[in-house]
Amino acid sequence: MKPLDVIWVGLGGGLGSVLRWCIGRVMAERYTGNFPLGTFLINISGSLVIGYLSVLFNVDWHNRYGHGMVLNAFLLTGLLGGYTTFSSMQLDAVKLAGRKHGHFAALYLLLSVGVGLLAASLGAALARAQG
Amino acid sequence: MIKIAVLVFIGGALGAVLREFLMRVVPTLADGFPLDILAANLVAACLLGFIAALHERKGASDSIYALLGTGITGGLSTFSSFAYASAMLMKASLASAVVAFAYVLTSLVLGYIAVIVGMKIGGITKS
Repeated sequence: MKPLDVIWVGLGGGLGSVLRWCIGRVMAERYTGNFPLGTFLINISGSLVIGYLSVLFNVDWHNRYGHGMVLNAFLLTGLLGGYTTFSSMQLDAVKLAGRKHGHFAALYLLLSVGVGLLAASLGAALARAQG
Repeated sequence: MIKIAVLVFIGGALGAVLREFLMRVVPTLADGFPLDILAANLVAACLLGFIAALHERKGASDSIYALLGTGITGGLSTFSSFAYASAMLMKASLASAVVAFAYVLTSLVLGYIAVIVGMKIGGITKS
């Protein structure tokens, strides 16, 4: 493992996390409904961008190494990984279920995954269409 | 405000580096099942449940929550890699679509359980 790669992952992860935190704060001020809209929008937008950049950088999703690409470590693993979150989505779902919105929690999880997969595919298709 | 942002940055950086290590240590299974990302997401979900329960009953300060909850578990877990890997597996072949379906279902169910387990531990831990 290249030590430098780890630094880029860390830097990207830190910046992505701060971005997620900022968006979460702004969303919390403007939207007070039950649906965890902030985390949802963050995860969907992150999925769109990872699909686009993976095709653009020609990165295989299961074989990301050996490309020697700083951009890969910084943007994909770091920034997008830090920006999007799986744990908050699950915590949101458990909280929804705790407020007697069990069906809402399941809907939220399924919607996140469904739209997330579509967004990732759309991002990849956009990059391919560009050539 | 700035202090919290710095803590989120440090936590997010640590979490992402931890995920990078996991991705190098834990193999992707032969059929393409992304075990590494699943492991990172489950550990993060459990830890977030734990720290959220502690924070809820004032056992952890806002600063600790920013560092561990928003930062480390947010940086360790990832939705983008999860979604992209699933989307690519879905399209590759019928066999890999089955793997993708199993991956999504396992991630959602176990992730949900992991948060609850973390919350239970956080609810009884002395602070």
